[in-house]
Amino acid sequence: MNTALMQPLEGTLPGAVLAAPVTDAAGTVLLPAGLSLTAAHLESLQRRGIGMLAISPPEDPEALARQHEKIRARVMYLFRHTADEAGSQALLHAVLAFRQASGK
Amino acid sequence: MKPPSLDEMIGQVQKLPAMPAVAVEVLQSMAGADIDIDTLARHITQDQVITARVLRVANSPFYGLQSRVGSIHDAIMVVGLSAIRSLVLAASVMSGLPAIRSPGFSQNRFWRHVLGTAVAAQALARPLKRAPEALFLAGLLHDIGRLAMLVLYPGDFATVLGIAAARDCRLEDAERSHFGYDHSEVGAALARRWDFPADIVDALAWHHRPAQGMPGGLAGIIHYADAIAHALDLDQDGEQPGQMPSLDQDAVSALGLDWDSLNAVLAETRARFDSYEPLLG
Repeated sequence: MNTALMQPLEGTLPGAVLAAPVTDAAGTVLLPAGLSLTAAHLESLQRRGIGMLAISPPEDPEALARQHEKIRARVMYLFRHTADEAGSQALLHAVLAFRQASGK
Repeated sequence: MKPPSLDEMIGQVQKLPAMPAVAVEVLQSMAGADIDIDTLARHITQDQVITARVLRVANSPFYGLQSRVGSIHDAIMVVGLSAIRSLVLAASVMSGLPAIRSPGFSQNRFWRHVLGTAVAAQALARPLKRAPEALFLAGLLHDIGRLAMLVLYPGDFATVLGIAAARDCRLEDAERSHFGYDHSEVGAALARRWDFPADIVDALAWHHRPAQGMPGGLAGIIHYADAIAHALDLDQDGEQPGQMPSLDQDAVSALGLDWDSLNAVLAETRARFDSYEPLLG
């Protein structure tokens, strides 16, 4: 099993993957484990005063590409009757990006 | 044999069990401004099944505690008062309805989906500036009519499952095809029997047709939360089929979610679902 690295938020780059959920002082979960952080996530965590993050070691790019393709196929299957509907567009694109980034 | 009319179905719904006492007390405590943790903990502890489910969540690896949480009072300290009330509501609704065995219907998958919809609705509360408790409850109950139909008329519901599989259509479309109505109407009748507030009844009645719900009500939010739960596959307990509901463009536009807000909602939904999952056993 890979060991998580504790590192400061400052210096963490977009694309880093959370090894553990990020919680605020009250214990409320802000971001789930497995999420690939975007610049928007990092800015949001900075605003909330989060100092340290548990980050997973980097993954094999080929394994990552296979995982992304598997997730894309699953999401497109779910949207097989609705992908062209106007009301579905934002959710389809956001879910695809989120699921590929989080690996779930 | 002819399927039951809506009036016959609603007549039968009146025979289903009443809302569990603990859930009623938690709902009342939500309405009050004063929150007494000791009193709430005492009410919850009266129901052993609910207590056990809630403690399972507090003791899950998600919270990463070094020592075991043994009391509801301590669990409130670990997961927070607001989350405890949501968990108790979910646990009491799940344990208050009869267990169902029906070929082609996974009860586990049903509860996973409604819990997922409840947490998605709760996550939508923040950007939409709405009260999270009512949205959680509406999400939790949004498909309860389906469970009632299945309990009351298992033979007819088996036909519905067969239609959905054969036509690759949504379950609610198959319900309408067989019964002439769907679980939304039955769920609203059950919520009225349980004396839920009008906004919850409205959300259950119109979550598939939000344009017909009351203006500014919860139906449009539950409509989207239901879709989020499907899109994140929160109901999956293995590799299973599934499909997205059709989304009402006007209802989606009315929510006014930008890309960042929608992403934050997806992340919060996933995280909260993972933390509540041990509730399902």
